[in-house]
Amino acid sequence: MGIKDALARLRSEARDLGSHIWLNRPLVLGTVAAGLLGAGLFAWSGAYDIAASKGHWAIFEHGLRYGMRQSVATHSMGIVAPPLDDEALVRRGAGHYQGGCAPCHGAPGRPPNPITRAMLPEPPELGPRIAEWRPEELFRLVMHGIKYTGMPAWPAQQRPDEVWSVVAFLRRIPGMEETTYRRLAFGELADERERPEDAELTLRTGPAGEGIAACARCHGQDGQGTQDGAFPRISGQSETYLRQALHDYASGARPSGIMGPIAAGLTRAEIEGLARHYAHQPRPPAAPGSVERGRLIAEQGLPDRRVAACQGCHDGRNPAYPNLAGQHPRFIEEQLVLWMQGGRSAPGSTEAARIMFQAVGAPRAGDEHLWTLTRGDIRAVAAWYAGATN
Amino acid sequence: MRGEQSALSPRGPEAELLHGLTWLLSLGGAVIFLLTMLLLVLALTGRARWLASPRVMVMLGAVLPTIVLIALFAHSTGIVSALGRVVGAPLVIEVVARQFWWEVRYPEQGIVTANEIRLPVGRQAELRVTSPDVIHALWIPALHGKIDMIPGRENRLRLTAGEAGTWRGQCAEFCGSQHTLMALFAVAQPPAEFEAWAARQRAAPVPESAGRAVFARAGCGACHTVRGTEFSGRIGPDLTLIGTRQSLGAGTLENHRDTLLQWVSSPQRVKPGNAMPDFRGVLSDDELREVAEWLENLR
Repeated sequence: MGIKDALARLRSEARDLGSHIWLNRPLVLGTVAAGLLGAGLFAWSGAYDIAASKGHWAIFEHGLRYGMRQSVATHSMGIVAPPLDDEALVRRGAGHYQGGCAPCHGAPGRPPNPITRAMLPEPPELGPRIAEWRPEELFRLVMHGIKYTGMPAWPAQQRPDEVWSVVAFLRRIPGMEETTYRRLAFGELADERERPEDAELTLRTGPAGEGIAACARCHGQDGQGTQDGAFPRISGQSETYLRQALHDYASGARPSGIMGPIAAGLTRAEIEGLARHYAHQPRPPAAPGSVERGRLIAEQGLPDRRVAACQGCHDGRNPAYPNLAGQHPRFIEEQLVLWMQGGRSAPGSTEAARIMFQAVGAPRAGDEHLWTLTRGDIRAVAAWYAGATN
Repeated sequence: MRGEQSALSPRGPEAELLHGLTWLLSLGGAVIFLLTMLLLVLALTGRARWLASPRVMVMLGAVLPTIVLIALFAHSTGIVSALGRVVGAPLVIEVVARQFWWEVRYPEQGIVTANEIRLPVGRQAELRVTSPDVIHALWIPALHGKIDMIPGRENRLRLTAGEAGTWRGQCAEFCGSQHTLMALFAVAQPPAEFEAWAARQRAAPVPESAGRAVFARAGCGACHTVRGTEFSGRIGPDLTLIGTRQSLGAGTLENHRDTLLQWVSSPQRVKPGNAMPDFRGVLSDDELREVAEWLENLR
């Protein structure tokens, strides 16, 4: 039978069905109206119990879980995981986990708190559960959250790179020791020592010193970041720039699911105090090393690709622009990749961000062939700045 | 100015050659067309039986067109060869088109400027044109025909200004969102004035004022060169003596303090999609005014 015949038959059957419904329209309309009325009455009566204390019927719960698994499996098709065995990624993910995930899911050696355990559904302890998901599925879960549960979507949808760092950490959780977790998530604060000169600041930045604690977990109390480049150096940046960066993170003008929630939780006074603290930490010593291509781009730009000379702004002369000298190369690399991908030029971004967008040649997001800086260029610039002194 | 951008107002020998050819072809074509129509009318009304003779048909239908076309071919070949002739020692000018402006370099004089080609009256100039991004075309109708500016290739065009004056030219090959606002000016001056202009460009005096510090702090030097200062960016137009130029934004705005302020503050509103970012909001109103004032005084 040809496709034409099949279509003709389908059409005639649809016509039959249509006329059947039409002839019985009082019956059909009546049924629909009765259904709607019944549903409305049920909702109006308040008979359904929405209490989180009760839980779902077992069969209903089973269906919900099945539906969720299938949905995640289907929607994670087409996602490609980057290499996740990277200690810097794991460190980054751990830093976020402590602030963003542990309150509900608990952490190695620390069970979730009793309040969040009373949620419906109860946020699972992740240790025994991680192995049930492929990394791409974990990415999907962290990036988009789960409807009708307490699991939120990633607050900065432009930053898949951050979500992957959380996934990299999640995969390490099964069997992780508490001491390992503390080292990963708290860095130098893991042994809870405190420098005397920071005591006053700690007092100023919140009742439990949460402000500085949140920063120092990753950037260190002296703002040096970490050698592996998991976290940038913020020591010695100008107060103006640090303050602006925290405000931009808080407002979402600079999208980040890691920095955003931390910055949004700070008061104006706390931001002032932290900016002042880190601005007065010593600048990092420059590492020897010079990369000719990097120097060229930094000092002269790439005129034919419309890339401006980085040093025009990032030489530390203007407090509104970050000074890049001595920054961990990995951080510069990742930020430049974000610029190329459009992840830092969100709608509603700041005027300074729009200048940077033009300065890197207004790259077309997505297509790597159209980036104005190649990956090699980006590595060269980052390497040059790591060894520069401004 | 009348004839500011018109191929029908030639202002130099090359343009005059093209102008003559244009009239010859247009008028000649018109005459032949009218004659043909006349013959058609005569033939249809039966008043010219002599047209039916094979001899007349061969003469008017084959021999005459062949002679006319060969004559035109010879004439236009002569014009092409005349246009290619080098007269004296031409002034070499490199013109590089970018989205959406023109860089103009005088390699022998060591001068770089933008959106404006200065010419000494009576001396032939050799324009060496190219583009680093997409195909553009340079067209200054008062002085010559169009020439394509093609990435990876250098085309040459020789032209001479026969008299002093200022004529407008524009990009004649669609090159992107602001193709419309990509114009330039050719300014022809008597040789002595041209030399004075060149000397001034080389000296490039830079006044000291608050605006210069703002220019430095805002990072303008990452993209712009101002000779005689530390600013040496090569992404945007060279701003040396920008106060002397005919226009801003490649023929988009007139050039004075108010328009400089407008351009520095919000170029994306004036010419959306160009490479210059808005500085309103990054610099204070006072700082913007200071920069505009400093730029105006670069002259």
